Amino acid sequence: MIATDMILKRCVDTRYRNIGGEGVVVRQTAGEVLVLNEIGVRVLELLEATMPVSGLLDALDAEYEIDRPTLERDVLAYLQELVDAGVIEHAAV
Amino acid sequence: MTTYADTLQRTWRENILFSALVELTYRCNLNCFFCYNDPQLRGVPLTTEQYVHFFEDLRELGTLNLTFSGGEPLARADFFNLGRQARELGFVVRVKSNGHALNGRLARRLREEVDPFMVEVSLHGARAETHDRQTRVSGSFDKLLTNLGEMRALGLRVKLNSPLTAWNEAEVEAMFALADGWGLPIQLDPQITPRDDGDPGPLSVAPSRAGVARLLELQRERAEARQTEKEPRSADATAEVAGSKHCGAGSATVTVDPFGNVYPCVQWRRRVGNLHEQSIQAIWRQSQELAEVRRLAAEVKQTVGQHGPLGFGFCPGLAEQETGDPAGLYPATQRLLELRRQDVVPSDGL
Repeated sequence: MIATDMILKRCVDTRYRNIGGEGVVVRQTAGEVLVLNEIGVRVLELLEATMPVSGLLDALDAEYEIDRPTLERDVLAYLQELVDAGVIEHAAV
Repeated sequence: MTTYADTLQRTWRENILFSALVELTYRCNLNCFFCYNDPQLRGVPLTTEQYVHFFEDLRELGTLNLTFSGGEPLARADFFNLGRQARELGFVVRVKSNGHALNGRLARRLREEVDPFMVEVSLHGARAETHDRQTRVSGSFDKLLTNLGEMRALGLRVKLNSPLTAWNEAEVEAMFALADGWGLPIQLDPQITPRDDGDPGPLSVAPSRAGVARLLELQRERAEARQTEKEPRSADATAEVAGSKHCGAGSATVTVDPFGNVYPCVQWRRRVGNLHEQSIQAIWRQSQELAEVRRLAAEVKQTVGQHGPLGFGFCPGLAEQETGDPAGLYPATQRLLELRRQDVVPSDGL
């Protein structure tokens, strides 16, 4: 369960590039590749800077015309998907 | 939903440099009879600093895959420094090595400092006599087996590459069995190529027609077994890519030799620039030679397509080297077509 005060980061074992707006993520240990959409690319870019999930939500809120409750619901669910897929993890603080 | 194959196809179509292969040196601690490197090629080797700038430029261009090759890449004194830089710049690093020097100490350094996605190691036979005959270094098979054990124990991801030759074609089943026993993927390549300077000497150990047919039959059986197991997509998967070009040479890939010469791919040795004179960004965006290669890749798709889908069995680089025409049918592909007519090779390519 993702909480807004959590700090997340890209998993150490992943490699990532933005290929013309799509994110290609290689999970080295699993030998698997995932392709992320525009939102996934933006999330990974924002996570390069250490910030709590609330900060990430604020940044996306400023960029996308969507009501805040819907944004929070969708983004938190998406972050959980990325955690489950081994793309991001909780950062040790 | 966009798939990895869609993304790869996009790199070909939009000329996004996705993968670079870097031949760090032509020095080698083995002496393989059929090595394709041009031993007479001369030039000024790139410095460590030039490589680092090159890697930074690649990252700017969006390149994800960076392969260190040779010669033997570990023979270059600054190999670990370059490997660390590549890791820090976020590349998916592959190392093509003969494995001869990758004993426990060096394998550990490779794991801890470079953390490659894959180490691709050459296996030349299932018996010491065969492997050592091809490498022309006595004891190289036994050393490789010891080193493979240490690499696996360290958790390095290892893949075996094996060129099929007249000398090892009778051991193909045994080579597959060795790889399966170790739990390692193995890729046998039925094409022996002339040296990069055009010397056809390596072709004297090219596999026989029966040897190629047997390999293709085994590969088909193994591919069907894997499909049954429904393996997840691997990061190496490229076979489903299709588009307006025959391959990604010069559109999504480059190869750089130790002296900074840039080529569309490891087999298409048409020089499109040199890193001593220009950055890779300038070459990628401005080279007229590269523009011509991209045009040819599309033309080859049309011409070769008339023979039915040859898939990755046809290489424009080899075609140009052996026939002077990137779309010309060279002996290995003529044999492939003949085998397909006899239903040895599936009609959707290799």
